[in-house]
Amino acid sequence: MTKFKYVGRPVPRVDAMEKVTGSAVFTDDIELPGMLHTKLLRSPHPHARIVETRTDRAEAVEGVVSVVTGRDFPFKLGIYVGDRDVLATEKALWVGQPVAAVVAETEAIAEKAVQLIEVEYENLEAVFDARKAMEEDAPIIHERLGEYRTLPIFSPRPGTNIASVFTLKKGDIEKGFAEADLIVENEFSLPQVSHAYMETMCFIARHGADGNVEIWSSSQPPFIVRYLTSMSLDIPLSKIVVHAPYVGGGFGGKAGLNFEPLTVLLSKASGNRPVKLRLTREEHFTVAAIRPGLHATVKTGVKKDGRIVAEKIVYVFDAGANADYAVNVGRAAGYDAIGPYDIPNVEAESFTVYTNKLYATAFRGFGHMELHWAIERQRDIIAKKLGMDPIEFRAKNVLKPGISETGTGARLREDAANLEECLRRVGDALEWGKKPAKPKEPWKVRGKGLAVLMKGPAIPPNTASSAVVRFNEDASIELMVGTSEMGQGTLTSLTQMVAERLRVPMEKIRVASLRGTASTMYTWQTVGSRGLFMDGRAVLEANKDAESQIKQIASQVLHVSEEDLELAEEKVRVREEPWRSLTLAEVVMGYMYPGGNSIGGPVVGRGSYIATGLSVLDPDTGQGNPAVFETFGCQGAEVEVNVLTGQVEILKAFSAFDIGRAINPLLVEGQVYGGTVMASSIALFEQLIYQEGVLLNPHFLDYKIARMSDAPEDMVSISVENPQEDGPYGARGIGELTMIGMAAALGNAVSNALNIEIKDLPMTPENVWKAVTRQNPKLLERAKRYLKGE
Amino acid sequence: MFVTLPEFEYHRPQTVSAALDLLDQYGGGATVMAGGTDLLVDMRYRIRVPEHVIDLKGIEELGKLTFQPGEGLVIGATVTLNRLLEYDAVQSRFGALHDALEDMCDDQVRNRATLAGNLCTASPAADCAPPLLVFDAKVEVASPAGRRMVDLPDLFTGVKETSLGTDEMVTAVHVPEPPPDVQSRYLKGKRSSEDCAIVGVAALVARWDDPRDRVVRLAYSSVAPTPVRVYDVERIFRQDKPWGDLVEEAVSAALNRVSPISDVRSSKEYRVHLIDVLTRLALRELLGGRR
Ligand SMILES: Cc1cc2nc3c(=O)[nH]c(=O)nc-3n(C[C@H](O)[C@H](O)[C@H](O)COP(=O)(O)OP(=O)(O)OC[C@H]3O[C@@H](n4cnc5c(N)ncnc54)[C@H](O)[C@@H]3O)c2cc1C
Repeated sequence: MTKFKYVGRPVPRVDAMEKVTGSAVFTDDIELPGMLHTKLLRSPHPHARIVETRTDRAEAVEGVVSVVTGRDFPFKLGIYVGDRDVLATEKALWVGQPVAAVVAETEAIAEKAVQLIEVEYENLEAVFDARKAMEEDAPIIHERLGEYRTLPIFSPRPGTNIASVFTLKKGDIEKGFAEADLIVENEFSLPQVSHAYMETMCFIARHGADGNVEIWSSSQPPFIVRYLTSMSLDIPLSKIVVHAPYVGGGFGGKAGLNFEPLTVLLSKASGNRPVKLRLTREEHFTVAAIRPGLHATVKTGVKKDGRIVAEKIVYVFDAGANADYAVNVGRAAGYDAIGPYDIPNVEAESFTVYTNKLYATAFRGFGHMELHWAIERQRDIIAKKLGMDPIEFRAKNVLKPGISETGTGARLREDAANLEECLRRVGDALEWGKKPAKPKEPWKVRGKGLAVLMKGPAIPPNTASSAVVRFNEDASIELMVGTSEMGQGTLTSLTQMVAERLRVPMEKIRVASLRGTASTMYTWQTVGSRGLFMDGRAVLEANKDAESQIKQIASQVLHVSEEDLELAEEKVRVREEPWRSLTLAEVVMGYMYPGGNSIGGPVVGRGSYIATGLSVLDPDTGQGNPAVFETFGCQGAEVEVNVLTGQVEILKAFSAFDIGRAINPLLVEGQVYGGTVMASSIALFEQLIYQEGVLLNPHFLDYKIARMSDAPEDMVSISVENPQEDGPYGARGIGELTMIGMAAALGNAVSNALNIEIKDLPMTPENVWKAVTRQNPKLLERAKRYLKGE
Repeated sequence: MFVTLPEFEYHRPQTVSAALDLLDQYGGGATVMAGGTDLLVDMRYRIRVPEHVIDLKGIEELGKLTFQPGEGLVIGATVTLNRLLEYDAVQSRFGALHDALEDMCDDQVRNRATLAGNLCTASPAADCAPPLLVFDAKVEVASPAGRRMVDLPDLFTGVKETSLGTDEMVTAVHVPEPPPDVQSRYLKGKRSSEDCAIVGVAALVARWDDPRDRVVRLAYSSVAPTPVRVYDVERIFRQDKPWGDLVEEAVSAALNRVSPISDVRSSKEYRVHLIDVLTRLALRELLGGRR
């Protein structure tokens, strides 16, 4: 049980009332005086030169304020590689890419006028498959790749479609394979998928005549939006303010920079009036960034006793038409290529490749759900070949605190997360040794499966956070942090941490719901499961600072040394003589003696944190330390498959993560349920289906996502708490982790149930039926015989 | 895909004759609307751009829902799917229809969507169509010239096409009372728990113990340009042959009648496979203990 009053307790979210009553403000709720609306014209071609654009008919529509094309905005955007047009300038690179925009008094007028823009295209040869795009004679999508502003840690290959490649090398791969008793090689794949967050993206921008720019954005990272907008559009940082209202789900899709620069430029082009850009769901499906697809080739050498001695991996990420953010997905998947395993000889190459499809960005798990699909399916296949229990096989090879080395050659700290414990706990929950119960219908089969996983924040080595804890007259507190609230609940956990240290009830601590660059403290981005850890560390520093200011004042008044004081029950008091105390309200605005003389002043606690001990990875071998913490975990499931239809039902889903400490167990459970359902949805249903570059399912009618009735009946979060010394109260991050292993666990369970090997996602009923037909036709025949009553 | 609806004039008549007058007056420029769950989507996509939308929900007569022994079930054109779902007679006597309703859309959409709308959309995937085909339903059609009854199969003429004239509308759906021992099921092949049909199969069995008078019917959705009933089945099951042979014949009759295609939802091969297994599953569920 927790020894704390707030930390570790399942307190309700601080934003719960606002959200259930509908008073929470999201970007689309905001209306500004004189605000205009915009609609985008989208390319119908996957790869085409823009010869000419005629806008006069659109301009003539009453109520139209401005019509712009790509050539009006010759800026390149991007967080890691500046490869993105504001609007397609010379070429359109995918079906759906915005090529022009209309700004008008109403959305309806903009919508009508945008149809009247005429664009003449010259079609170019297109390429849709990432591996084909890597071939010698493939059409080149970004001819100017070599000229783009690129962070030096990335290695684009100008003259090809390879936006970046990351290489990991450890030990001697040839020697490793020579020592192996068994070598297993497999290919795995996952399609591109949509983030499908509930709130479609919305942006409002006002480019004032005085050069001041204000942006409201459904964005995960207001500070990065400000920084990148400033850099890309050459506007001084100090002239930009970014407001970040609540975000209705981001999952990485609202990280980095999205349509903020476009909206700013549209406002500038429209007489400095504010402009709102909001995407419909269907527009979203063809305009906004998605998760990359992956093709993986994994070759593994093992000894008879189950020790993995060598692993060679090639990941090819299908980034679509832009890779400005996706190059870092490819990189993160590259350095974590082998997952949470201690393997002496490793060689991995992770390519991020352009194709003429929707472009990819960050997505919950940042390449790790994808890579774990490949390696955790591979682990089960190997275990089967060795005749070993998959838990024992994994236990033999997983990283162990204080002993093991990761793929990047970083030694695991003594207080690192304990993966083996997670593995055993999930195994126990699944009653691993026991056969699953028989289904009611004889044409159904059941199977169990699990997968282990790891991830740390994929961030630049100098990523930082800050926080301010500011007291009000009644000793209530304003907590100022930059981290965004997009459903994950970090603001609640941070509030608990303030209440714990400063002994103020949670109700008296307020975190502004409308945050932004001018009203909150700096944080890099709310991504990579870093918020609680890094912003949390900054909050702890701010707490400490505030506490010492309070004690300084109180020590003068009470004539005791600061060390002899403590905070309790909204008071500061002498530890050994608790009846000698001052209320916080008497102190936090400065203390006034009865005679009127005053000391101190308003208490403002300030805290900063910067990741330390991280390294710039070696450019040739990828060796070094990329992460401030790694969270390890294991996920497992039991499924029932209808052999006749291929339909998969998830009966049970268990997750165990060593998160050090659950600051709020309710929020951890929420993350686990959300991650489990999201991962199941991606594992069983989700795929963007293209035909010659045209998306065939740009709506929820045919892009299936899980609904409540698809959620596993039995979902359990198992909390493992081996604290990390430098984590806030020992905590590590959890957000992304909860979906990283579940797809592979389901793949293993389905494969076990049907006695086949599933290697490609999604496991739709049709795909499962096809796999059974190909790999285990006898099973299907038997099921059909049952049906005939034989 | 647009955010806005195209411009149109909205009418909300209080009687059928007032609605018919409007249809007559505006000819092909008008369309009737019940729940709007198909129509408004089509309008946002500009698949349909009617100048006049005639909302039927204000017409009291169209809200009637009755079951009378001998007469059967009468479902007014504005009766929602959820109202039907909760109607006792549907659950007790029209099992296949109840199955279809339970598995259609989602709760929010079912609160608005109507049965008549589902039929008049004439989607090959209309879930209510196969059950109503095996129950021999008829639609009551009104026009300025009067009312007529149309056999359900004659309503469907193609993908999203009906035999209704521009001045006609459906006022009710009539489903005759089935034999007392009737049993029926509707099974739906889906991609996830809430989906339109990849393949839908309605099966009905009555008077099984009397081989010469036996009634076995099958109808399908999503396997042809319109929902289809396979009429040969009735004859097949009146033969004096072993059960297994009858089912084989019925499945081949069904496969002969349908013309499934490959699309974004399913390949043709998988549809053929589903027709096969879902037909067998449905018949087995109905006859499991009795053959
Ligand atoms: C999210 C969602 C999920 C859905 N899921 C399913 C599903 O699982 N299965 C399924 O079959 N359908 C599904 N649908 C489609 C739709 O909901 C159904 O077809 C519904 O029954 C249509 O009824 P309605 O009253 O809304 O029709 P409306 O949209 O009002 O009308 C549909 C068409 O019929 C015409 N019409 C309506 N009433 C009459 C009348 N009395 N006389 C003449 N013509 C008329 C209209 O002019 C229009 O062309 C779904 C729709 C949505 C939006």
